[in-house]
Amino acid sequence: MTVSERNPTPSNRLGLDGLEFVEFTTTQPLVLGALLEKMGFRAVARHRSREVLLYRQGGMNLVVNAHPGVVRAAAGDEPVTAVGAMAFRVADAGEAHRQTVALGAWDLPSRAAAMELIIPGIRGAGDSHIYFVDRHRDFSIYDVDFTPIVGADPHPPALAGLHYFGLVQTAFPERTAAWLEFYQSLFGFTVLPSGQFFGVVNKGVLLESPCRKFFLQLIEPPDDSGDVAWEEGLLRIGLGTATVPAAIVALQARGIVFVDRGPIRSTDRGALTQLYPGGVSFELVHSELGA
Amino acid sequence: MRLTDFGMDTITLAGPLEAKLRAIRAAGFTQVMLSARDVVGHPDGEPAAVAAVRASGLRVTGFQVLRDFEGLSGHLHEYKIDVAKSMLQLAHALGAPVLLVCSSTSTHATGEIESVVADLRKLATLAVPLRVRVAYEALSWGRHAHQLAHAWSIVERAGHANLGLCVDSFHTLANEGAIDTLDIVDPAKVFLAQLSDFLWQRIHSREERIETARHLRVFPGEGVHNDLVAELVRRLQRRGYAGDYSFEVFNDDYGQMPLASVCERAMRSVNWIAGRLARRSLPVLREG
Repeated sequence: MTVSERNPTPSNRLGLDGLEFVEFTTTQPLVLGALLEKMGFRAVARHRSREVLLYRQGGMNLVVNAHPGVVRAAAGDEPVTAVGAMAFRVADAGEAHRQTVALGAWDLPSRAAAMELIIPGIRGAGDSHIYFVDRHRDFSIYDVDFTPIVGADPHPPALAGLHYFGLVQTAFPERTAAWLEFYQSLFGFTVLPSGQFFGVVNKGVLLESPCRKFFLQLIEPPDDSGDVAWEEGLLRIGLGTATVPAAIVALQARGIVFVDRGPIRSTDRGALTQLYPGGVSFELVHSELGA
Repeated sequence: MRLTDFGMDTITLAGPLEAKLRAIRAAGFTQVMLSARDVVGHPDGEPAAVAAVRASGLRVTGFQVLRDFEGLSGHLHEYKIDVAKSMLQLAHALGAPVLLVCSSTSTHATGEIESVVADLRKLATLAVPLRVRVAYEALSWGRHAHQLAHAWSIVERAGHANLGLCVDSFHTLANEGAIDTLDIVDPAKVFLAQLSDFLWQRIHSREERIETARHLRVFPGEGVHNDLVAELVRRLQRRGYAGDYSFEVFNDDYGQMPLASVCERAMRSVNWIAGRLARRSLPVLREG
């Protein structure tokens, strides 16, 4: 490990270095798993003590957590799937946790069982969590807590160069400024100039991570949303690709349907999938970050 | 101004929470300012208090009050952070959009501005995921911050989107603080305005200020600073403040009166304020 990795720059105090994993929580792991497979992910490992599967595609790790009790029950036994967490790669997870808690983050109680890694985390938007991971170079955190699925390729290649581009977070009306402050003061995110967008969903405000490897998009409900239920939380993940049209063709061939009406149409800049059961959708964004 | 801009404060009323909520609603108010004691002192526990508030149909103006928070260090700071977290969770459960924080009176608290700003920024960040905003108020006997101008300079310096100011007419008048301060305050950073008056012209000591504040406040229109209270509201309005007003009237006598009578006085006060403002803001007719 080099000296610079242990001495984060002033604008990147925690030494953020991209997204280690994104976690979905769900009451329907099989349905979600089938959708993820269509999106090019492969189940590669199973958690030792919890009902959790690790999916992977290229450099993206995606955790599907269906452990009883992790998903807040919806009315009428409706299936629920949510983006439950994002894990930031940092220089020192314990230090990142200590620093953010000292600045006003809510500590999360550890869920680790015996012989499992304690992944420090803090409370994020809605029911979501933000984790800190520093063991992405020396060895994989998944080697400790997960057992490989027999016969599965542990490193399935990415479809059309797909990589994590970022996440979309919803905010209640007039709450964007508070959330911008949250991400700026705790992690050193930078707000992009008003009107600067990527992809095809051009609304809200974009934040760039201090490592410049991923983005967060904050959106408030549209003015005409009326009685539409709106909660704060992580809404969807954005997948980057250098070739959006090729990614669309490859995913359509696997049965993925893209929205192509009204203001949202697939272009070279990006595309948005339809809403799948549980309220899951994926966004494609033109990006060279995976290069 | 409209009636819906005003919240009745439970601290003015005696009796159990449910009776207070009923009386406030019956008087025609649509908002209620809640105190932590209403919730944790409920005989059936906090969930019952939260359920009563939600069932009342009243919008919650805010939740009070976190005291002696800023400027502490070491274990005192950690202790206060735990208290703050607990209050934020209650505010969240009640749907209270604002947590009121009074400037510290603690002899253990430093007045060093960097420390005060850092603590309030931390509190404001803690409040973000809970959908609560933090309103900082200069208590007129605060150890370091005791004027509206002090509180504003701290809030301005903190520059945190989730931290704003509470303007309290009593503390401003009791210290003979300049209402002119409102002319430099960013109205978007005023998260709450609390109104009350008292019955004598001047307060001569810190002890008298505390005694008056805690036991002898009255509703606007009932005191002797009518012009100043009306001017304070007028300036807030003129500057573009569009938030809520609540009546912060601690009064031992009102604690011995039927709830309906006290709420009636509060409603009279709403009408008095509206009347004073309407009178002065009528357009001047030009001759010819």
